Amino acid sequence: MCNACGFPAAPGHWTEAGAATPHDRIRERFRRVQVLQKVLQGTGVTAHDGGIVPGIQVMSLTGAQTIVPDLEALWGEVAKLRGRPFDPLDL
Amino acid sequence: MTQPEGRLRLTLLGGFLGSGKTTWLRHHLFERTFGRVHVIVNEAAQAPVDDVLLHGADQMTLLAGACVCCAGRDALQRTLLDLCDARSRTADPTTRLEHIVLETSGLADPGAILRLIQDHPILVRQIVVAETIVIVDALNAIDQIRQEALSRKQIEAADRLILTKTDLTAPSAITQLRATLRALAPGAAQSAASFGNALALPDLPPGADPIALPALDDQDPTPIHASQLDLGDTPDWTAFTVWLSALLHARGDQIVRVKGVVRTPAGRLLLQTVRRSVQSPEILPDPATPCETDNIIAVIGRGFTQDQLTTSLARFNA
Repeated sequence: MCNACGFPAAPGHWTEAGAATPHDRIRERFRRVQVLQKVLQGTGVTAHDGGIVPGIQVMSLTGAQTIVPDLEALWGEVAKLRGRPFDPLDL
Repeated sequence: MTQPEGRLRLTLLGGFLGSGKTTWLRHHLFERTFGRVHVIVNEAAQAPVDDVLLHGADQMTLLAGACVCCAGRDALQRTLLDLCDARSRTADPTTRLEHIVLETSGLADPGAILRLIQDHPILVRQIVVAETIVIVDALNAIDQIRQEALSRKQIEAADRLILTKTDLTAPSAITQLRATLRALAPGAAQSAASFGNALALPDLPPGADPIALPALDDQDPTPIHASQLDLGDTPDWTAFTVWLSALLHARGDQIVRVKGVVRTPAGRLLLQTVRRSVQSPEILPDPATPCETDNIIAVIGRGFTQDQLTTSLARFNA
């Protein structure tokens, strides 16, 4: 996103469609990482989002870090780190 | 304040050659059902047989030779980009293009066309896929569905299934066909038409039996079913999308369709998926009185129960 005018660099992912104003967007980013941190407990993968750098930071137990642009990419990265997909129905 | 939906609407019109697609379309072009519309006709065969019949369209593009969901993708992408470009250069809103109807063959995969739009940074901002309509020839559909895995895939993605030639088919055969269609696409609305004019269809009895379909390719023969998720009066869009994106990643092939309207701070969003492809949500206008079906999501697929979905989502919402 451009810091000056807020124009997004790429069209938002469908998961980000629920917020239109910058205020709502940042609230949703923090809520997103809050939900992720809770559900990823016990998987060996953690998620972080300081709200400044676009995307979500994903970290493995070994300390390896990647930044993914959106939730779709995040689940791909989680599957790679775990060796198997994260299935919400298996919790 | 929510942004009104200003994108160009795209309707996918599928069905086999000879199913009555072009006749149906010609009638609706005459009736101006789609407003200011551009029709794209995709003929996989080299000879463009339907061309002659569509003189009623404002504007038409013929894409011949390859199916737009695979080998003909680039041609479709160019055509869509040209239409978006021309539209954005049209200053007068009363002459601006409103709708595109993309007529495909009966074997085209709507999911692939959706992905083409979703993955393109310009198309995803300019186009919203309004509906997938599949014209079903009541006389020949059962044979086609029995033999062609791709025709089943197309029916699964349909929002509306329109039966043609019902006047030439025995009522028991129609009921059986409709039950089969319902088994393939429980969320799709079924109707009938003759030369484009809507015909009344009786309600399909819940006990009507579908035809037993042989498993084709590596398709899972387990029947699909429809579940409903109630997100409540104040849905948590974020928790829901974290959950749904994870579900589609892990089980995308089993989740055939997801559809529903979610009330979010950005407006009423129409969420639609076809397997792993999620459409850019369309912002729907706010109705005068709250809509009862808002925040209720239909999940159609196999390999899970409604309880599993509800329990799992509750953990994300907590």
